[in-house]
This record gives sequence, structure tokens and C-alpha cells, in this order.
Amino acid sequence: MAVIEVSNISKSFGDTQAVDNVSFEIPKGRIFGLLGPNGAGKTTAIRIINHILIADSGTVTISGYPVSSKTQSMIGYMPEERGLYKKMKVGEQLIYLAQLKGLSHEEAKTKIRYWLDRFEAADWFDKKVGELSKGMSQKIQFIATIAHNPDIYIFDEPFSGLDPINSEMLKEIVIELRDNGNTILFSTHRMEQVEQMCDDICLFNNGKAVLKGNLREIKQRYGKNTVNIEFEGNDAFLDDLQDVRINNRSANYAEIRVLNGQSMQEILKKAMNHAEIYKFERVEPSLTEIFISTVGEDNINPNELA
Amino acid sequence: MSLRQILLVLKREYMTRIRSKAFILATVLIPLGMVVFFGIVIGISLWDSDTEQTIGIADRTEVLYPRLQEIAPDRYKDLSDLAEDSLQSLVQREEIDGFIVLEESHIEGQKNPEFVSSGSGGLKLQNTLRTDLREVIRNERLARANVSEDVQKIYESDISLTTTKLTETGEETEDDTGFLTIVGFIMGAIIFGAISGYGGLITRSVIEEKTNRIIEVIASSVKPIELLFGKLAGIGALALTQMTFWVASLLGLAAAAGPLAGIFLSEQMSNMPETAQAAQGSQGIDPEVFSIPTIDTSLIIYFAIFFILGYLIYASIFAAIGSAVDSEADTQQYMFPVMVPIFVAYIIMFQTMNNPDGTLSVIGSLIPFCTPIVMITRIAITDVPFWQISLSILLMIGTFMGTMWLSAKIYSVGILSYGKSTNWKELMKWVRQG
Repeated sequence: MAVIEVSNISKSFGDTQAVDNVSFEIPKGRIFGLLGPNGAGKTTAIRIINHILIADSGTVTISGYPVSSKTQSMIGYMPEERGLYKKMKVGEQLIYLAQLKGLSHEEAKTKIRYWLDRFEAADWFDKKVGELSKGMSQKIQFIATIAHNPDIYIFDEPFSGLDPINSEMLKEIVIELRDNGNTILFSTHRMEQVEQMCDDICLFNNGKAVLKGNLREIKQRYGKNTVNIEFEGNDAFLDDLQDVRINNRSANYAEIRVLNGQSMQEILKKAMNHAEIYKFERVEPSLTEIFISTVGEDNINPNELA
Repeated sequence: MSLRQILLVLKREYMTRIRSKAFILATVLIPLGMVVFFGIVIGISLWDSDTEQTIGIADRTEVLYPRLQEIAPDRYKDLSDLAEDSLQSLVQREEIDGFIVLEESHIEGQKNPEFVSSGSGGLKLQNTLRTDLREVIRNERLARANVSEDVQKIYESDISLTTTKLTETGEETEDDTGFLTIVGFIMGAIIFGAISGYGGLITRSVIEEKTNRIIEVIASSVKPIELLFGKLAGIGALALTQMTFWVASLLGLAAAAGPLAGIFLSEQMSNMPETAQAAQGSQGIDPEVFSIPTIDTSLIIYFAIFFILGYLIYASIFAAIGSAVDSEADTQQYMFPVMVPIFVAYIIMFQTMNNPDGTLSVIGSLIPFCTPIVMITRIAITDVPFWQISLSILLMIGTFMGTMWLSAKIYSVGILSYGKSTNWKELMKWVRQG
């Protein structure tokens, strides 16, 4: 049975249709990526799953229960807009937040001691949050999300604003949580970041779910239609290529999606005439490329796909 | 709605604030500040009354000046030898503050004396001169009319008013209107200050959760309405704690200050010449007023009721304002219309102190947005019909349910809209949407 089941939800704000008849389900023990550009409706969908917003139509069930205050405590949610009470002490604050999720004062205290120890932050218990560095308060934020030990974790744009150390730590935590049988829902507009982590994905564009399923299967469906090339020399030859789409281009690297069944050997020959080739590899397309080819190049604002 | 969640929010709101240094300081310093303020006001008025003007008297009757000298020897200067133009030049050179020429016609006929001055003195001086002249001329007329001593005594006798209040049970009690007016004023002023002060605290508290960005974390555990109730109740409990402390100190002070003020004032008066004291007495400051009157328990209960209801009505509005804006600076456009009825009530309260049963006071005390301030002042001073009190309480409860309903809708949408302050039109949309 799906742990999170979203059926035909819609939500509009005035004239804006934020989520338009979206359905997807997340099986137990998987990492699910909700991907799409900014403003695609990911956060609205997540807020509906968290029962912060109520859908205009459609239903959401969590482990079989329709969303309610009760399902809220089954979820650990880290919103994109996150923060803490600056004037409260770390310990107090974490206990308060865990109590709001249904834990008793004693349970909450034990759990929080455990997590503070684990993050080597045991001596922060009596510090005010305002005195912590940004990286430190990010750790406190993780603890606030996971301390009540729910089965389901939802992270909205988890990597935005994280320093590299905490980014890495979050990845490890997420994998560990999944390996312990928990279910994780991610949202991000930075697709390459979660490619390695997600089991399943759902692509959002303009409030609609345009593509969903198992990540590996999706990629296989597209086949190895992409070339990753690394070279040294003048990159002007890339501009002369016909019937290709170049993503992720830099001075000596490019990801080339080959269109219209054109032979890749031709591209290699052209490249060899103009530059020294270090690497030439046929690969499955990146998620960004899949997204672009799904919704069509004209239907997206490239600036939103950072 | 879950009571557990509301209580958790309540506890946090209450505990984090009551321990803060700012709260403890404010609790102690605000009453101290008020005592100092009133001290300065009283000090200024006492110090000010010491200044004396010199009035030249050109007495052509030869009988009036000695009588004036009896009343206030320092104020009146005998300049009977001088002609009117030299008197005028004395005034112009500011050697005297003004002069009066007294003639036989003032005693025999009905002609009024004329006070010529350079314009200094003000109303108070004019009052004093009028009283003094009325007295000396009347006494001279009496003396000339050769009336019997009995009649003269009748004129010299001074009558002051002793007031007694008949309660509904038929019991006669000493009337403490003077004292109760002060109590009513203080209670009204406290409610006025508390509503504005705690309202501001509510708004800041809501804005803080938005700018801290913790609100969405909270919203994933607590319903907006639970958060709103918890917040109102938590800060309300804080307000009650502070009020209890203040009212207790006020009662303590009143018990101590009453007799002290009585002693102080009666000393002042015994230092004055007898006639002046009589004049003062008839004007209404009676040392008796400062004996220890009791404040009815019912008044304190009414104070608590009107304070709580007033707080709830305004706090719910202030919470909605906080949720609709993104920073404290943007609250102006909403704060102004909310503060208007509070200030109107405050202004009506001053009228109520003089005329607690006047039309303005009665209407003001029945308008829910003004009730807490106006009604408590009325109840303190006069015997307000029970139907008016019950009606005002019912109206306030109804108003609170209305403001709470509106506020909950605005709040539940507002807390999740970051990065922009909304306008009135948007607010209406939220109400329909919420």
C-alpha cells in the first residue's frame, strides 16, 4: 500500500491554478523526488500533504488515513522557509516542537538529547538559537524535523541555503532513514542534486504532474541518447552542431542531447577536428534534459531551471 | 481543535515572556514611571500656586482697602494717593500687575469695579479678584445697611456639602465620589494602556514568527486557530499576571496614600488664611475625600471582566494585522483605524468622569469597542443600571466572536504568505478564501 497517496488534487489562489488535478503515490521505504522549476506548484502540493493547506478538490491519504491533525504527527516536515525562535534555548525549543508533534515532555527530552549527542551538539542544549552560527542552526532544524521519529519525512528544497557539510550530512541522514524503512519525499528545482538519491520521481510543470515513475525506468526509456564530452581547445564547434540540444555547457565540457537519430560518430569527428578530446561517453539523459524534452523547450523559463 | 496543542502554545507564549528581563523591568518600571509622572504634575501645580501678583488698589472710599488687606495682605497694595494715569504707567513699567479703582458708586450703586492690567494673571487671578471684591463689597454693604449681627453671621457662615450615597438595599453609605472618580480614571487608563500595549505585543509576536520563518514548522503541527487561541490566551495570561501585580500595588498604595494625602492637604489648608480656606472648601477639595474608602469587590470583578473582553476583542484584531504584514513598519495602515475607537473611548472617559450618566457616556459604554474603557469608569463612579452592564457584556462577547471569526480567516492565510505586506483588497479576498 502506498504510504502517501495523492488523488486528483487541485488548488487555486484567486486566478492562479497552483496545483491542477495531480495524482501520485509514494510506496513505503522509497525516496521520492518532486521536481520542477520554481512556481510549478511543488510547495503547494507539499503543504496540502502536510495538511497546512486544504485542497480545493481531490484527496490525500497518509498510510490510509485522510490528511488531518492526526496525520500531521506521522510526518517530519522541513519547509523551504524554515527558521526557529531566536530567543528560545535550543533544548526548550526542540522539546516544544516535539511536544507539538505529540511526544510527552520526557520522551521529547530523551530523543533530543540523543540527536544532539549524535550531531556532537550536546553542549548547545542551553544556548539560545540566536547565538548559533547558521550551520549550527541548520543542524538544529534537522533535529526539529526528525526528533519525533515519524515514518514519513518531507523536505521542501532541503539543500537551498545549506552549507556543503550540512548538505552531505542531510544526504547521509536521508539514505539512512530510507534504509531503516522510512519514506522520504523531496522537492527541489535543482534536479542534478537529487538524481543520485531518488528512487521515484514526479516532474511538475505549471501545476501539473507531467512525468512520473521510477527514475531508472524513465531514464532507460529515453535510452543512451546523450553524449558527455570533455575536451581542450576552442569550443566554437559546439555552436555549429545541428539537431542537438546542449545542456550544462562550460569551457571544456558539454552535455549534448542528440536529436533526430543523428549519428554520434559525426559529432565526434567534428569535435576531433577542432579540439583535443579527453572523454566521449554515451549516456542516459540527465533529469534536466528529460524535463526539457517532456514539457518542450518553449514551455519553460530556462532561468528557473538553475 | 485540540486543547493539548492550545495549552502547549499558551505555555510557551507565557513562559518565554514572563522570564524575560524586559517584562520584569516593564512590570516594575511602568507604575514607578506613573507615580513619578503624577508626582511631577502635582508638584508643578503646588509650586505654581505660590507665585503672587501685586495689584494696585486706588481706594477712593477709604473703607474697602483695609478689608482687602485683611484677606490677602501681600496681593493688594495701597496706591490710593496716585492718579489713574500714574497707575497706568506703573502697570506699563510692570511694577504692578494691574490696578483697580474703587469708588463709592461700587458700594452704593450697582457699578462693577474695573480691573486694568497688562494682560498677565490669567483666569485664576481674575477669579480670585472677583471673589475678594465680591466679599469686601458685600460686607461693606451689610455694615452700612446696619443689619443685625445675626444676619451678618448668616452671610459669613460657609456651607460645604456632605454627600451620602443611598445603596439599593437602602443602606446609607458615605459617598466617595472624589476617590472613586480617581479609581475609575485609573482603571480606564490601565485598560486603555493594556489594550494598546498588549495589542502591540500580539502583533509583534505574530510578525516575529513570520520573519523567523518558524511559522510553517509550527503550522505543520498545529492548526492556525489553535495557534491563534494559544497565543491570545498566553499573552492574556501574561497581561492578567501583570494586572494582578499592578492592581494589588495600587490598592496597597491607595490604602497608604489616602491618609498621607489627607494629612498633607489639611496641613496646606490650615496654613492658609481662614477666608481663603473657606473659599477652597466650598470649591470642593475636602480633606474628607482622602479618608480610606473601600473599593467594592464587584468593581474589581467588573474590571477583570471588561479588561479580559476588551483584550480579547482587540487582541484578535491585532493578531490578524500581524499576519497580514511582513514587517512592523507596514502595520501603520491597519493600526490607525483600530486605534481610533480606543482613543475615542479614552476621550469619552474624561467626559464620563464629570458626567457618568450623560448620554455620551451611556452610548460610549455600550459600543463594544469603547465599552471596556468607558464602562469601567462609569461603574466605578456611579450606579450603572444592571441591564446596561449585562447588555454591554453581551455585545462585547458577540463582537469578540465576530472579530475572532474574521481574524482566524485572515490569520490562517496570512501566516503563510511571506515576503509581502498585503492591502485591504487582498485582505477581503483572504476572508472569503479562509
